[in-house]
Amino acid sequence: MPSSVVHAGFALLLAVGLLGPYFDRRAAAALIAVLLVPEADTLAGFVLDGAHRSLLHNLLLPAVAAVVFYRATTREESWLRRRFGDRGVRVVWVALFVHVFAHVGLDWYHLDGVNLFYPAVDRFFELSGEMYLSTGDGLVQTFVEVTADEGGTAVDAGQGGTTDDTHVANPAQPTEDTGTGGSSGADPVDRRAPIAVRGWQLYLVLTGLLAAAARTLQSAPPEDR
Amino acid sequence: MPPTLVTVAVGVLLGVALLGAAFDCRSLALVAVVAAVPDLDAVLSLFVRGATNAALHNVFVPLAAAVALYADTRREESWLRARHGWYGVRVAWVAVAVYAVAGVGMDLFNVESAAVFYPVSNRYLSVVGKLVLSTQEGVVQTYVELGDGWLAAVSQGTTESRHIPTWVNPTPGTSNPPGADRTVRLVDSGWQLVVVATAAAAVPARFAVARRDR
Repeated sequence: MPSSVVHAGFALLLAVGLLGPYFDRRAAAALIAVLLVPEADTLAGFVLDGAHRSLLHNLLLPAVAAVVFYRATTREESWLRRRFGDRGVRVVWVALFVHVFAHVGLDWYHLDGVNLFYPAVDRFFELSGEMYLSTGDGLVQTFVEVTADEGGTAVDAGQGGTTDDTHVANPAQPTEDTGTGGSSGADPVDRRAPIAVRGWQLYLVLTGLLAAAARTLQSAPPEDR
Repeated sequence: MPPTLVTVAVGVLLGVALLGAAFDCRSLALVAVVAAVPDLDAVLSLFVRGATNAALHNVFVPLAAAVALYADTRREESWLRARHGWYGVRVAWVAVAVYAVAGVGMDLFNVESAAVFYPVSNRYLSVVGKLVLSTQEGVVQTYVELGDGWLAAVSQGTTESRHIPTWVNPTPGTSNPPGADRTVRLVDSGWQLVVVATAAAAVPARFAVARRDR
């Protein structure tokens, strides 16, 4: 994963605007919890092979959640609205938005990607490619490559292995076979917890913090608006 | 520079975050344009050698704008407030932030780098590296390295020695051969596509939220 720090930075940037008047410390804490919980599938990786980036990092879970939230919040006697008011409803929707874009979206690009349609389809997808317009080649994009030959049409959208043969390294389980016990060999296992790697990750963290700080400095609009 | 499309996407995200009650189509469009403005120094590079990522990608342009804005808005009879009211002041401040953070900052945190102190110094600077906690090596930090002199690792050459190719000016120097291969980069990598998609989704979401808050 790009570290949770990077997720949180990007999420903060999104949340400042989307939460609007509901943006406060409590709401931000709730969103950060939503960003951290999916990493629990790292722990599931100890018992279920390849669970990390599959079990809780996919698009089916948020899709189901969106349907459930939609039904729960549009009813007259919505439980969520009665219990937590408009504020609760807003935080829930923003949390879903942030989970899809700041967490699953960024992880999609990282290492082996995410198992987008798990458990329906067990296949890791990695988002990689570029897009440009050139005088020589016209519009080129390599995110989804479609090649057609005699054998038929092949679509390469960055799909990789399945949960059986893919292990996305993480600090709790750096390699597939280290399990809980760490190394059995002579060299101790190097567990690395990245905070930010490369310029853009640090940039996203700083931009998120800056947006949150700027928000607290802003003046309220005059009453007559 | 990172593709202008990505710069605009970050600018839009900042606009979504910071415009608050001043958020509407007009202010959002203005902010998106402001995010793209620094990339116009590629056009200047056709006349001034090495102006790409330097002439408009520096701290002095947003700093001057911020000082001017501060000086104007703290006066009793502020010109901007008299003309556009609270709305104008908010949009102006957000535009300055977007120029600095999306327009200039993004290039600084990229290997393509920006000459942020141009014209005082014509050195391209970039903040790239990593910050990792390792059980074997402890804290590994390579964003800022103190070499001989200072901050040796972040320098990426000067406007004299290095040409940053753009579709406007693909070849070094100010010559502009008509037959040169030109490439307009839209998205360089997966994370940039995620940022662009997020901005595209955040705008309708923000409009929906704005309707509800009213």
